[in-house]
Amino acid sequence: MFRFKREQSVVNVAGVKFGGQPGELATVLCGTIFYQGHRIVDDEEKGIFKREAAEALVCRQAELSEETGCPAVLHIYARSIQALQKYLDFAEQVWTGPIIIDSADPLTRAAGAGLVTELGYADKTIYNSISLSTDAAEGRAIMDSEIDSSIILAYNPSEPGVDGALKLLESGGNVLEKGLIPLARDYGIVNMLIDPGALPLGSGAGAILRFSVVAKARLGLPVGSVIHNAISSWPWLRERGAAIRKCCDAAAGSLQLLAAGDFLLYGPIENAEFIFPVAALSDILVAEAVADLDIFPGAGHPLHRLV
Amino acid sequence: MTKRAAISKRGYDDSWPPVRGDYVVGDPMCGVAVVTLASSLFVRGAAITGPCKTENLGVEKIIANVVSNCNIRFLIICGAESKGHLPGDTILALHQNGVDPQGRIVGSRGAIPFIQNLPFEAVRRFQEQVELVDCIGLEDKDAIEALIVKYQDLARPFPGMPFQAVRKASPRPVLPVGDGDLFLGSGVVADTMAWLALSED
Repeated sequence: MFRFKREQSVVNVAGVKFGGQPGELATVLCGTIFYQGHRIVDDEEKGIFKREAAEALVCRQAELSEETGCPAVLHIYARSIQALQKYLDFAEQVWTGPIIIDSADPLTRAAGAGLVTELGYADKTIYNSISLSTDAAEGRAIMDSEIDSSIILAYNPSEPGVDGALKLLESGGNVLEKGLIPLARDYGIVNMLIDPGALPLGSGAGAILRFSVVAKARLGLPVGSVIHNAISSWPWLRERGAAIRKCCDAAAGSLQLLAAGDFLLYGPIENAEFIFPVAALSDILVAEAVADLDIFPGAGHPLHRLV
Repeated sequence: MTKRAAISKRGYDDSWPPVRGDYVVGDPMCGVAVVTLASSLFVRGAAITGPCKTENLGVEKIIANVVSNCNIRFLIICGAESKGHLPGDTILALHQNGVDPQGRIVGSRGAIPFIQNLPFEAVRRFQEQVELVDCIGLEDKDAIEALIVKYQDLARPFPGMPFQAVRKASPRPVLPVGDGDLFLGSGVVADTMAWLALSED
């Protein structure tokens, strides 16, 4: 293991801290609820869902967070603004920590920025995400909202790989006039969480591991990923049993943490059962590995809580 | 090689389709391919059938697998569009407008519509070889299978060789080694850009 020469900034969203030197802070784990195809959702457009089942999932993630010391974030995926409103109403009643708002639809995302501002949730909301696809209208919606935390998606299809992703963040590369980081600042984002974007295995998924180390060394910002997507899109694995799929998912998450990841969007919130123990294990190993490098694990770290 | 064997190999290589993915292969001699976008539909009669949920890598796989089989002259785009990503809209835009020098698909309304792993010639070949049948939103299997039959009757092999759309070779420059920006302890540092760990001794 290692420590970075550059000072590593720590981002604080609603009391949850992301970033720092490897081994310093516990990994932040973000479980997705109401995702496409989620069995507890009856109507994705209207946001009709099985409330008791949803509550059980959110509470279970919170329990595992409390037990292991890895902070949790609720990642809410919504297909429409109508659905997002219902999901936020629900979240407000069962969850006090940070939330990530997310949709494949840019209009829903943009409207979501306004909605969380109206509801008074902006200070605990992380926008997912500012990316190459963020157009002027979406940027304006973010700017007009009170959101100041966002995931910055560094996926650069015109120049795949680590260098292309860094260029997109810093200067815009050959696809944007301005880098995503200065652009996010223009939109009023103070707390930036860097995500390289996970590609399928065989299409360059592994680059996110090197990117995590390089981006932290160069930018000093918290870095994480949705490495779960690389696993879930693997056709070969899909034909294997659930136990094998979980092992691979857990191993991928652990590899991301070994490569200096500060947070994981670990996929379906149901995966909390195995992701929290795996992340806690990884955090403990990393903290012990850097013990001689003048890095001290913070209060509540799994090292203090589980061993 | 017998005449029959020669005919059976016409228009595609034995390894077709060259790119792995979430699809079902039918008769490679058929002139119709079907993309069902975000819908999981099993339709019969096409050379290849499968979903496509992304406006970049998913579209690339379709192009690579279509242009490597000269028999395929029609691509039926059906099923529900994938919200936000809009791969159906992206395929239509790609066929009509192509890509700009950065690989961005001109005119697509998808989120990040880029072709990154195929040469521009593959896109040109796709435009020349196939005609698109825009049925975005259609999920009726019987209706789709009727379209396959209809267009199969019209399809004649593309006059040319199968186009093998291989990946663009990535340049691999020798990375300059700068100062160590990452410490591993015991006098060992690493330059993360060069991905090189070195001893300070």
